[in-house]
Amino acid sequence: MSAVDGVFAPPSEDWVRVSPKLITARRLVLSVVLVPVVLVLALVTAFTAPGWVPATIAAVGLAVLVWAWWLIGRRVRSYGYCERADDLLVTSGILFRRLVIVPYGRMQLVDVTAGPIDRSFGITTVQLHTAAATSDAAIPGLAPDEAAALRDRLSAVGEQRSAGL
Amino acid sequence: MSEPSPPSDGDASPVEVAAPALEVATSPTHTHPLTVLVTVMRSIPALLAAGLVLVLQSGLGDVVDEIDVNVLGVVLGGIALLLVLGAVVAGFAYLSWSRLTYYFDDSGDLRVDSGVLTKKQRRLALSRLQAVDVNQPLLARVVGMAEVKVEVAGTGDSRVTLQYLTFARAQAFRNEVLARAAGLRPDVSTAPQNVIVTVPTGDLLLSLLLSSTTLVGVVATVGIVAIAVLSEGAIGLVALLITGGVPIFAAFGQFVRFFGFTVAESPDGLRLRSGLTSTQAQTVPPGRVHAIEFEQPLLWRRKDWVRVQITVAGAGGAEDGQQSGTTGTLLPVAPRPVAESVVDRVLPGLGTMDYEWVPAPSRVRVRAPWQWRNLATAASETAFVARRGRIVRRVAVVPHARTQSVHLTQGPWQRRLDVATVRVDVAPGPVSVLGLHQDAATARASVDAQAQRAHAARQLAGPDRWMTAPPPSTPPPPEGLTPASG
Repeated sequence: MSAVDGVFAPPSEDWVRVSPKLITARRLVLSVVLVPVVLVLALVTAFTAPGWVPATIAAVGLAVLVWAWWLIGRRVRSYGYCERADDLLVTSGILFRRLVIVPYGRMQLVDVTAGPIDRSFGITTVQLHTAAATSDAAIPGLAPDEAAALRDRLSAVGEQRSAGL
Repeated sequence: MSEPSPPSDGDASPVEVAAPALEVATSPTHTHPLTVLVTVMRSIPALLAAGLVLVLQSGLGDVVDEIDVNVLGVVLGGIALLLVLGAVVAGFAYLSWSRLTYYFDDSGDLRVDSGVLTKKQRRLALSRLQAVDVNQPLLARVVGMAEVKVEVAGTGDSRVTLQYLTFARAQAFRNEVLARAAGLRPDVSTAPQNVIVTVPTGDLLLSLLLSSTTLVGVVATVGIVAIAVLSEGAIGLVALLITGGVPIFAAFGQFVRFFGFTVAESPDGLRLRSGLTSTQAQTVPPGRVHAIEFEQPLLWRRKDWVRVQITVAGAGGAEDGQQSGTTGTLLPVAPRPVAESVVDRVLPGLGTMDYEWVPAPSRVRVRAPWQWRNLATAASETAFVARRGRIVRRVAVVPHARTQSVHLTQGPWQRRLDVATVRVDVAPGPVSVLGLHQDAATARASVDAQAQRAHAARQLAGPDRWMTAPPPSTPPPPEGLTPASG
């Protein structure tokens, strides 16, 4: 496991991890979506099907909830970024791991977004765009002032480094 | 800017003025009057369909119930209706033709004013020119017309299509746009071109027959014929039509598109021309190529033919699907040495396959049983290269200066095998650069190194007006002497 971690380790200093509030926000979204669906399914089948059907649905729903609950925690804790001299590193993922390196000179724009749920938890997402559509370097779950500071730093270095298109 | 010689319209300015006037404005010019005719002709099928629907509706709905069907009346009414509709279309076509003018303004940018009800003025900054195409759709070709597409960098609607000019005028206009974009004087408009490669029709036909899609179609067809014969069922025949028909149509479409494909070299870039029914001409300015890929389907291997795909910034993007013709294909089929020499001209030094390949470890055999032998990556001084595929072998090349970002990914199975995938992100287009299943530690090192190379290569990038570019090795001239870029 340690050798594998080494592959996705930051070069020198450690990853800057994202706010644990993102865990709460995502768990909230999960519950709000999953619980009513399972409840409705269980209720409908309770009157129309033999008794083991709603019981199974409830059990499976609960299992999925617990599993996703646990997964969200691990996944959010796996997000991290690292500002180096010439580029930005973003990592994420447990099962499917990812590491993106974006040289500052290639950034075309930096987006800072926050949806209503994100806002109520006081977190924002910083997304980097390059000329490639596949670059996809997003850092969710940053505190607003941290996100703004990061955006400003990125724009500043991006302007220095970028020579043209 | 007041010029002593009056900027007469278009190509009639043989006066050689010694002053290196880069920005010469031209007066507004109309497209060719036959545009109206072509527009009306183009709408005839739609008119006929509309007329037919109307006639059928009124004719069948009301008249058929009566005892004596007034066929003549219905037909005459239909024709009259068609004439009226045609006149409306023609009138509108005339109006929009008469309102459309194009010219170069004082700062050398292309302006297009148009619009009948809503006035529209567009200005295309030629310093951000991506491509100029001269196309001849079938109807326009009949009357000797051509359209010119001018595309500049930018998201959304960043192109202008001028319909229609005479073919000669269209080519002259294309040359003028390219010359202006390159920073040359606009009256040096006939950039010489010499043909490098012409794809022989026989080769093209054979290559399409040997391509993998055709092959799959043939195999499926044989299988279905067997099933149909054995089961004597009609379902087999329907399936036969699909599996046999689709590859034939696909191959035929490609044949029409790539017929007579020529690659010519001129100072303003590489010119690609092809097409059987409608001719497409595309100019790829140097330095706008972001990535290239050599493709070799299984059955091409004996002849060592390859197809070359290119990603040009601004063309063939995922978000605008309505790209024309040959965009993305630099060569539909060519022997490898020829392809390599052509690639050498768009990306100097990158036509070679001579790299220090880092192959994927043999333990990925279980993960990629077909292609594992062909999986490899390499990095030279100028480019990152990734090789993959078994049935279709692909070699993707991206110059370091075009690397946008670098990805390292690892799935659960890959983790067990201690391998990871390297992906170099490039501008949207047909080429993706994937180094699959590399040894994990090597992959991480190569990702880090590639980010560094991309950063380093960034510093050496040339200016946008390439004809005024200093040689890449010399330091850039002091501020103010270079033309404003971007």
